[in-house]
Amino acid sequence: MHLVEIPEATDGQLIVRIARGDRGAFDELHGRYARAVLGLALRRLGDRGRAEDATQEAFVAIWRSARTYDPARGRGAAWLYAVARNAITDGLRRTPEPVAELEDGPGRDPDPADEAEASWIAWRVHRALEVLPDHERPVVELAYWRGLSQSEIADVLAIPLGTVKTRTRSALARLADELDGELG
Amino acid sequence: MRQPPNLDELVGSDLDPQERARLERVHDLLIAAGPPPEPLEAPVTLRPARRRGALLALAAAVVVAAFALGAALVDGSSGRSVDFTETMAGTAAATGATASLAVFEIDEAGNWPMELTVSGLPPSASGRPFELWLTRDGGLAALCGGFFTNADGWATVPMNAPYRFDDFDGWVVIEEGSETPLLTT
Repeated sequence: MHLVEIPEATDGQLIVRIARGDRGAFDELHGRYARAVLGLALRRLGDRGRAEDATQEAFVAIWRSARTYDPARGRGAAWLYAVARNAITDGLRRTPEPVAELEDGPGRDPDPADEAEASWIAWRVHRALEVLPDHERPVVELAYWRGLSQSEIADVLAIPLGTVKTRTRSALARLADELDGELG
Repeated sequence: MRQPPNLDELVGSDLDPQERARLERVHDLLIAAGPPPEPLEAPVTLRPARRRGALLALAAAVVVAAFALGAALVDGSSGRSVDFTETMAGTAAATGATASLAVFEIDEAGNWPMELTVSGLPPSASGRPFELWLTRDGGLAALCGGFFTNADGWATVPMNAPYRFDDFDGWVVIEEGSETPLLTT
């Protein structure tokens, strides 16, 4: 049996297929964006359980709204961000619990424009991380968010120090390719 | 609080300046973005708005259909139970094309997962995808999904139908934007 594959489908192409009811395209998009949507929800809600519920609602909104996507008006990532953000905000309005939005620090209200920029950057970066091969993603996560040195990463992953450096350089280059032209 | 990593320690200092600048941009973005959340444990489910009565009627209709077919089949590759299958034949516009549609048992979200297997249907000359529709009274009534075939005319496509099948009287494959049947039940 021959499986038809559409390699390297863009986000926009997947949204167009979702608009036709293609559940496979939806699953592919979900794989690409689940953590980005959850990250966005966590920034807004601060609570993992509520953020997971909001993520569910955001993907249902993506499924239902896919027909409104117009490829001529912009990239799929930006459309997805807008739909997910709106769904999360709608959930916030409905929820009876007090809003627990994250702040930058005690007594500081983040500037809305700065907050929007930070959310967008996190959205794109977290999405881009999904393109990294399984052997490259851990070196990035351990270096940037666990604060491990290259030697410590080599010990944790049981690989030579030179391999850590090679994988890190390759991962950053791959991320640069993915993000080029979108955040510059 | 730990300090962010030093880029030179991560990638070395032997990069050409242009590439280093490119990686430094990513380095700054990673620091600004912060860590991604742990992955979701449960897959997202789609819950189309529908009345409970309609869902029960649909379930009853499929139980009857499965009974009429004799016994539920089981999809060997996934273990999902096949409630029923439909066979489709090519029309004069697609002679030699055939298709088989397996409709699996209803999922927890109330949708009907399906798998369409098509053969002998070359890619459309226009480059547009094909579409599977449910029909009623000789017209297109509900879209089930779109797909492309490969150069050999093959496709195996997962689809999903949030519909009451007893509201319809057949299935048809068309080229997107056309109403000319290529495959029918």
